[in-house]
Amino acid sequence: MSGTGALLSDRPAGRHARLSRRLPGPFDAVTLLIAAVFIAIVVVPLGRVLTRLFWVDGGLTLEPIRKTLAIPDLGSLLLDTLILVLASSALAFVIGVGLAWLNERTNARMGLLTDALPLLPFLLPPVAGAVGWTMLLSPRAGLLNSWIRDGLAVFGIELREGPFDINSWYGLILVMAFYAVPFVFMNASAGLRNLDPALEEASRLSGAGTFRTLRTVTLPAVAPSLGAGLLLAVWFGVGMFSIPAIIGTPAGIDVISVRIVELLTFTFPAETDVAIGLSFFVVVFVGLAYWLQLRILRRGRHATVAGKGARAKTIDLGAWKWPARLLVLGYVVFSTILPIVALVLVSLNGFWTPDIAWSNLSFTALQRAVFDDATTLQALVNSLGLGLVGGLIGILGAAMIALYVARRRTLLAKGIDAAIKLPAAISNMVIAVGILLLLAGAPFFLSGTLLILLIGYLALYLPQASIAADAAVSGVGKELPEASAVSGARPFRTFSRIYLPLMMPGLVAGWALLFIRMVGDLTASAILAGTANPVVGFRILEVFTSGSFALLASLSTVLVLITGTVLVVVLAYTRRKSKLGVAARVGGV
Amino acid sequence: MPLDETTSSATPVVEVKNLIKRFRRESGAVVNAIDDVTFEVAQGDFVVLLGPSGCGKTTLLRTIAGLETPDEGSIAIAGRTQFSSREGIEVPPERRDISMIFQSYALWPHMTAFKNVAYPLLSRRGRKVPKDEVARRVREALELVGVGELERQYPGQMSGGQQQRIALARALVNNDDLVLFDEPLSNVDAKVREQLRFELVSMQRKLGFSALFVTHDQTEAMELAHRIAVLDSGRIAQFGSPQEIYHRPATRYVAKFIGAINESLGTVSAVDGDTVVVDTGHGRVVGALVGQRVAVGDRVAAMWRPERGLLSREEPQAVNRWLGRVKAPMFVGSHTEYLLAVGDVDVRLWSPRSDLVDAGAAAWVSVAPEDVRVLPLDGDGRRADAERPSAAPAMVTAS
Repeated sequence: MSGTGALLSDRPAGRHARLSRRLPGPFDAVTLLIAAVFIAIVVVPLGRVLTRLFWVDGGLTLEPIRKTLAIPDLGSLLLDTLILVLASSALAFVIGVGLAWLNERTNARMGLLTDALPLLPFLLPPVAGAVGWTMLLSPRAGLLNSWIRDGLAVFGIELREGPFDINSWYGLILVMAFYAVPFVFMNASAGLRNLDPALEEASRLSGAGTFRTLRTVTLPAVAPSLGAGLLLAVWFGVGMFSIPAIIGTPAGIDVISVRIVELLTFTFPAETDVAIGLSFFVVVFVGLAYWLQLRILRRGRHATVAGKGARAKTIDLGAWKWPARLLVLGYVVFSTILPIVALVLVSLNGFWTPDIAWSNLSFTALQRAVFDDATTLQALVNSLGLGLVGGLIGILGAAMIALYVARRRTLLAKGIDAAIKLPAAISNMVIAVGILLLLAGAPFFLSGTLLILLIGYLALYLPQASIAADAAVSGVGKELPEASAVSGARPFRTFSRIYLPLMMPGLVAGWALLFIRMVGDLTASAILAGTANPVVGFRILEVFTSGSFALLASLSTVLVLITGTVLVVVLAYTRRKSKLGVAARVGGV
Repeated sequence: MPLDETTSSATPVVEVKNLIKRFRRESGAVVNAIDDVTFEVAQGDFVVLLGPSGCGKTTLLRTIAGLETPDEGSIAIAGRTQFSSREGIEVPPERRDISMIFQSYALWPHMTAFKNVAYPLLSRRGRKVPKDEVARRVREALELVGVGELERQYPGQMSGGQQQRIALARALVNNDDLVLFDEPLSNVDAKVREQLRFELVSMQRKLGFSALFVTHDQTEAMELAHRIAVLDSGRIAQFGSPQEIYHRPATRYVAKFIGAINESLGTVSAVDGDTVVVDTGHGRVVGALVGQRVAVGDRVAAMWRPERGLLSREEPQAVNRWLGRVKAPMFVGSHTEYLLAVGDVDVRLWSPRSDLVDAGAAAWVSVAPEDVRVLPLDGDGRRADAERPSAAPAMVTAS
């Protein structure tokens, strides 16, 4: 029984075939539906915010804008935001590019640590990090401050408090920069890795030294990657809420993102008009940064990326190798390990004091703070459930869309791709405000439900899901699914038998990323959660305003434990899978 | 695996008519990757699509598989229309009932050899193959290609040649009438390639499936094909048996692409039936026409194969004889290649003897008029490699 004739007799390709040209198949139809929902939960709220600016209660008005311009401290609010974002981005840029160069181009590189560097901030969600830093560098009770004072006392220098104060400009900028570094680091590393080594070699042969080559050839050549990294750092800074709320507010540093949440959540009745007016400033600022980046990058021609395989010879730093390595290690310890240590110590100690009772450390305080407290426990359960379900929906939907975009290079596909990645360019804060406006009241009445949080998280973290799914799809290549289609498998079968198993490591990693973002989220949580639907982020904010630091540390510790566990399990899984050769590039590259 | 008796031998397995596929370059220019191609593959035929990279051969194969959508024309497989721009028909690849072997083999790395080969049996619509029959047929296919012992292995644990065999088994397991090959032998080393080529030919002749095979390697094409389609910038420059393509090239492009050839440009001074006299820079050349007509005064190329020429120290009794100077004899084992300066051209000549003349010596070159092909220059002959016939189908039908 072979092939063609026997099966379908001699009728010319039937009605079936005729339709397939006109209509998308069921697989594409499902994908398009998912894409439409995903785009709607971002675009509709955004549109709602923008129309709400001029359209209130069925009439055209400039009231929100007038009220916003009438804020007495508008000038200092904008200035503070600008200083914070620019200073922290600049610092992150220097640190990120430096680390990337050391790791990609010099023999100061340390294998596993290099792979782990971009993951470190995920281990410690920004909320937890901000709390950890407060525990370390608060002028009186800060653990690090107290240790430094003890050290200074040996030399006869006695201090009552300090020497450092986290609730200050430098403290805030430093912590913000730590969280912006990965954006710069990852982009700069990718740029340096893809750079044709011949460009640098030609410069060296022309007589330029290591640092002259770096300055005149390497850095200009990777300028687009660096620009993209810097832009992401700026966007991140504008939308960041938890760090300025926890570190900046006590110092009297007021930024837009914090003010928006205050107006919506902690003001009664909520000042929605002003919050929306301020959101508008955020959109303008973010757009301006994007435009500037385009302008700067368009000026010059930039180096092309070399073919695969060519790996640049690393630069021998000689005597500077170990100092450089210590610098990298010091960065890791300082940015990540110290705040985690502080959180764990305070939560095990039961209360926040510089004099840790080492012999009395126990889990009782942690237990009482987290598991015996009904609201906290509820928040924990809600967050875990939302992270689990939201991550799953997000990554699977993004995977189907990524497949569609990769297979169809039509205008529609490109448009869908751009729309899915749009939230990366718009401040999280604005989207969350839009979702609140749209869904909280009539006719949906989703205020205080888990559903509104789920929608919010999905809308906010779609770009991350989309980028992770793109990477997973591109790893499968073109020929493996084509071979499946030619073998007679329909699109659903090709998806479940070929794409899904091959993409699994990438999708699991993407899911973990979403899970961690959603569980550690404070932006959408601060605006969309309440006492009826508490989540960890909201609970942390509540506890912070009521001032119980031991409880704050305990909550943050639990958060770190959860994200850490998920990260380790997922890393172990993907490593094992790649050893089995599933991730191996067997299909067409 | 018997031939499919239900398909009448009169119906071609593949029928491509006036196919056009356009690509838009980044500059905005539109290029025809496939430029009005028409051809057929008969039942049991082994057809090779041959051409340099970028000539459109892989694109043509992929449109037949349904992996690319052409812009115009029609494709029928076993008499059923798979694509027709006029009728608005496009059958997706999974409903075309064909098999294909990819350049990278495209074995699924997460499945064993057995599962890879079983996949097409389990995927085709409208047919439930019982489990034990699946197992039987997979083993049969694996035995057929000589890798029965590999059934539990994953592709990552196999050599390139073994992967190639699994890919072949996967393509044959469904007994499809048509198997497409996209340069499948370009990734294995020379020794294995030769072996696989030999096995492929005998397997195809035995099983009787029709094959459409893409390659840029002319030796491969010669060995495998019943018929070769030489592609030139999206068009079929010539479609014929390997012998025809080699001995009676239809255009200068084909003549130059297949094998080595000597070429003298000149003007036609006399035409007598198929015999043409050409005045060239190094004297008179008498040759034979292939298909196309020329008239006195036309610019033409007189071309002949290096192995057809004779070398002698004394002046030979031949119509075509020219005195030249030997530049460098090159011994390559099976023969010696002599490079001679004859008038304004360099001539290559292969001889089984390596001691005919020394470098720097004068020698006579002669070639029989029936071994010289006279082909017209199209346009002004500036771009000899891009030459293509101005008339529509440059098809020379086989048999």
